[in-house]
Amino acid sequence: MSFITTYCHISADQCSVNGKAVSARDRAASESWFKQIYKEQELVYPKFYKMDSLSQAGFLASELIKRENKGLTGRYKDDEIAMLFANQSSSADTDLRFINSYEHNGAPSPSLFVYTLPNIVLGEIAIVNKWYGENMFAVLPKFAPGFFADYGQILLSTGAKAVLCGWLGVLGDNIEVFVWLVESETNGSLNFNQENVLKLSGFNPA
Amino acid sequence: MTYIGAEVIISPLGRTTAENWAAVSANQSGISLVKHAGFDNSDLYLSKILDLVDDYKFEKLISDALTAVSAQIDPGILISQRTVVIISSTKGELDKDINDPFGKSIAALVSKFSLVNQPIVLSNACISGVLAINAASNFIQAKIYDHAIVIGCDLISDFVVYGFQSLFAISDKPCAPFDASRNGITMGEGCGAVVVSGTKEIFLNGSFQLLSGTSANDANHIPGPSRTGEGLFRSVKRTLEINDVAPDEIDFICAHGTATVFNDEMESIAFDRSGLTNVPLSSLKGYFGHTLGAAGVIETAASMQMMRHGTLLKSLGYQESGTSKELNVLSENVAAQPKTILKTASGFGGGNASLIIRSL
Repeated sequence: MSFITTYCHISADQCSVNGKAVSARDRAASESWFKQIYKEQELVYPKFYKMDSLSQAGFLASELIKRENKGLTGRYKDDEIAMLFANQSSSADTDLRFINSYEHNGAPSPSLFVYTLPNIVLGEIAIVNKWYGENMFAVLPKFAPGFFADYGQILLSTGAKAVLCGWLGVLGDNIEVFVWLVESETNGSLNFNQENVLKLSGFNPA
Repeated sequence: MTYIGAEVIISPLGRTTAENWAAVSANQSGISLVKHAGFDNSDLYLSKILDLVDDYKFEKLISDALTAVSAQIDPGILISQRTVVIISSTKGELDKDINDPFGKSIAALVSKFSLVNQPIVLSNACISGVLAINAASNFIQAKIYDHAIVIGCDLISDFVVYGFQSLFAISDKPCAPFDASRNGITMGEGCGAVVVSGTKEIFLNGSFQLLSGTSANDANHIPGPSRTGEGLFRSVKRTLEINDVAPDEIDFICAHGTATVFNDEMESIAFDRSGLTNVPLSSLKGYFGHTLGAAGVIETAASMQMMRHGTLLKSLGYQESGTSKELNVLSENVAAQPKTILKTASGFGGGNASLIIRSL
């Protein structure tokens, strides 16, 4: 059996952990919404400021899940936590900024270019936590709970003991982030299956 | 057991697998000097399909690859509800729709070939192709699907060329993997495909055993390879262990070998730590360039062709050892019947992946 033990949502205006709001966006503030969360939650990882929005979203959600799920990292070996992420628009947000750098700002920006791949967020989370496990990033036409349930179970049956799953919809102000942790060697009330993933996501079934 | 076969390669060396094999076995390269290809109009060496003039190039290539695949398998497989198509790519049809670089091409593929299941796009930088073949194997072993068609495809665009130029990662000559004078990658474009199945009988031209592999993150640095080769070492170690294969059973390594100074050095350290320095090894980037998300599939397909034809391809561009751990890099083609081939890949985001193919 495996269970969804912790989860985090970030929408355009609210950030919540296990369904409880932890940050609300101040639309009047000059700082970006993700930076507001970072500061309000008193996270300390200066590299956050260099990340693109996709990586910031994944970083914030994974840090808030770790904070809520005490002792998470100590329970597993460094290669036993896999990551399975997906979204619909790949790294489009940063791709647009990179194109802008060479079309309008004189030269292609290397610091933007390195973020023009959707799997970079997995690398960033791996670096923060020293996680050496399996990683996968899929680009899907819409949120697909069945994909996460199927491949999540595959990861759990091929060596992983926990899977950090995530849907990272981040395109401009269109923010639909849902990250959840699945653990196999624990007890819980939320079975990891397609129905519960869909229900917890809060996304409308298409 | 999981089987792999029906391999397809489309590249500047040819639109069919046979044309590609004829070229690479004669050590011809798809790399040419392309005028005004770089930022500021510089000329660049690229492995570019110069006669690919279709409006939707990505869609054209994946469609051609699927057509070529379908001629090599039981005709019912393509439209079976037990079949999934997995696409590995970094940028898809980026030039056409930056917000949705895969949507239109995939929808066209589904419609044209009457695919039952929604294809899955895997986008994990340069390990996408190897990861996709491993995912195919995992889906089949978990009995979620019975057959998977893996198509890897990426195009050369201003976007990727300018990006790699901005990192000073592009070679000023055709790339020379593992060579002492290597100084960067040569970008490539192309498309590869393989079919993975639990049923040997679907393959019209024979197949190989696929020993499902693993991936591991370096947890080190975003664009730079690990100095200790940690992720690649871990991936290779686990792939060998879970398949109960000893290092001395590996007859050939189809390495990633991008020809950047740091990547090839990292691979040499990882292979040394894995006890694989004596195994004959080549990088195929000198033939196809670095085709990013397609590389793992094209190079696995080429490895299968080596097994079919009894020829190990030399590592084109290699002359003199240029890594701190000396590898057995092939400087000539070798007539051999390899039983077991290890394929590896490493990429941005710290990803590393490996798989094993074995003759039946």
